Amino acid sequence: MGDLKLAVFLAYKTIFKGNRWALVLIVTVMSLSFANLLLTPSILLGVTDTINRQQVETVYGDIVVDPPSDDYYLNGANEIAEAVSQVPGVVGVAPRLTGSALIEYEWREKDTVLDKGTSGTWSVVGIDPVSEADVTTISQNIVEGSYLDASDRDALLLGIEIAGGEKAETAAFQTLQGATVGDRVRLTYANGVQREYTVKGIFYARESRADRTAFVTRAEMASVLGRTVYSDRASQILVNVGDSAAGNEVIEAIRALGIAGEVRSWRDYSGAMAGVVSSFDMVAGLITGIGLVVAGIVMFIVVYINVIHSRRHIGILRAIGIKRDVIIGSYLMQALFYAVMGIVLGGLAFGFGVQTYFDYHPLDLSMGLVTLALQPTIIRDAVIGLIAAAALAGLVPVLSITRQGIIHAIWGN
Amino acid sequence: MIEVIDLHKTYGRGTAATRALNGISLSVRPGEFVAIMGRSGSGKSTLLHILGLLDSPTRGQFFVQGKDMLKLTETERSRFRLEEFGYVFQEYSLLPGMSILENVCVPAIGLGKGNNIKKRATDLLQVVGLGERLKHQPGEVSGGEQQRAAIARALINRPGILFADEPTASLDVTSSRVVLELFRKLNKELGQTIVMVTHEPDDRQYVDRVVWLKDGLVATEDGRPQLNSVSDAA
Repeated sequence: MGDLKLAVFLAYKTIFKGNRWALVLIVTVMSLSFANLLLTPSILLGVTDTINRQQVETVYGDIVVDPPSDDYYLNGANEIAEAVSQVPGVVGVAPRLTGSALIEYEWREKDTVLDKGTSGTWSVVGIDPVSEADVTTISQNIVEGSYLDASDRDALLLGIEIAGGEKAETAAFQTLQGATVGDRVRLTYANGVQREYTVKGIFYARESRADRTAFVTRAEMASVLGRTVYSDRASQILVNVGDSAAGNEVIEAIRALGIAGEVRSWRDYSGAMAGVVSSFDMVAGLITGIGLVVAGIVMFIVVYINVIHSRRHIGILRAIGIKRDVIIGSYLMQALFYAVMGIVLGGLAFGFGVQTYFDYHPLDLSMGLVTLALQPTIIRDAVIGLIAAAALAGLVPVLSITRQGIIHAIWGN
Repeated sequence: MIEVIDLHKTYGRGTAATRALNGISLSVRPGEFVAIMGRSGSGKSTLLHILGLLDSPTRGQFFVQGKDMLKLTETERSRFRLEEFGYVFQEYSLLPGMSILENVCVPAIGLGKGNNIKKRATDLLQVVGLGERLKHQPGEVSGGEQQRAAIARALINRPGILFADEPTASLDVTSSRVVLELFRKLNKELGQTIVMVTHEPDDRQYVDRVVWLKDGLVATEDGRPQLNSVSDAA
């Protein structure tokens, strides 16, 4: 008990009655190191979260109901959509009729039929504008013009990477090179049907596949494919489960409806992007690991210098008979105090400063607006890392000094 | 009380080896106030460091109250320094960040004895004339007062032997006299055994016996030459 009391007493006196600037410096370094340990992985996780969210919100929804493996379409799509919308946890259902078409801009200026002009082949998706807005955010991402109405037949939406122009990231020759709202475009569908549409809106979803898609109404697409056959068919039905964490339960519930089709999570479709996200996660882990090592080394140096500076005092303590374990314990307590202070202050600075800033000023990256994604595992790893580094930084020098001769510790000779 | 037989201490190895002690033998009786004197490099500080268990000899024998000091483990040596020895250093050795009173309390807290540590420390500081300086930081008092506080710290656990390594080396004449008179008072009134290293010839008047060292050997004791080097040592 006397040993513990003395170790606490020595630690307390060294921390609070010692060099105040050293205390401020050490705690500041600890706080910044901790905040950095949270920041880097939070940003990287925020990027991967954004990539995933963009896929869900603009391409797949949370759940996708696909046709059976031996069919191109879901039959009785309206009935299926209605049944799925009744499943608990489902907040939106959007049937889609998907095709592709050659989209031509300023085609009247072409010299010959064989002249490519300003054109390209892209996906064209027929949607029910109202139900689509319950599942994807296309309706919220209109940057020019307006969203489709259910009654629109000769209007379409163009993704920014089809329309081209200054905001598009795709090379100009791969786009319509600046089609704008009100312009006319001609679509030649895969079945040979050719129709002209007015560009009603241009959207920028910040998801490369979505931004390379054109949208018409599902009724229009059905008429292109054959009204009598396709008015109650869908290529896919996208399902939104909102913020519900019970995605798998909803999938099971939809499967239990006995729909003649395949029910899958959006993750099953994001193969290519999953690879990108996985690579990103690996890089994030690597950078976080390096950050932890660097933070550990910085803390080690700061605490080490502080302990080395106390070498004479350690020697005097040993000379007057204070046990080695007591001295080691007191310096370990000091190191842990610095670590805890760094965690508390760094955590507060991060929570109320950095995170709040990012909430109001997200990073505007090509894949979307990225905010910080702070997860409990990140906090846990940072706390463990900081405490371990601090403990090591406190222990190693004091162990070394207490193993030296007392005379050497006091006078350095 | 202290028995040292054929004590050797060599620093370094091979051609770089320096022999600090060359076979010293001496004894100190309980209640004695002994001064170890000699020129710089004579081995007096090395001897005191070994006697105070701050350093170990290369070879020889060393007993305190019949106990073989060279067979103690590191933990036992710490315990011995804490319980049986008090040590006053040449330079100011108070711990910064602690008041004079707290500095004196540290060894007693380490020993974990008694609940009246503060009272004992206060009493001791009264004895050494620092009753008005309890709350002061070491940097706020004079060198002489710091040394007196260090003496109080050395005495807090009522040690059997008090070692002092040139305790007046950094002090002015007046402060030196105060410290030495304090030692003499402790020795005469409380029977405190004291072994002090000093290079000041005038300090002889305060002690019972002087051990003169030269080249790592005892040259004379009590003025009786063992080697023909009394004049050199003086």
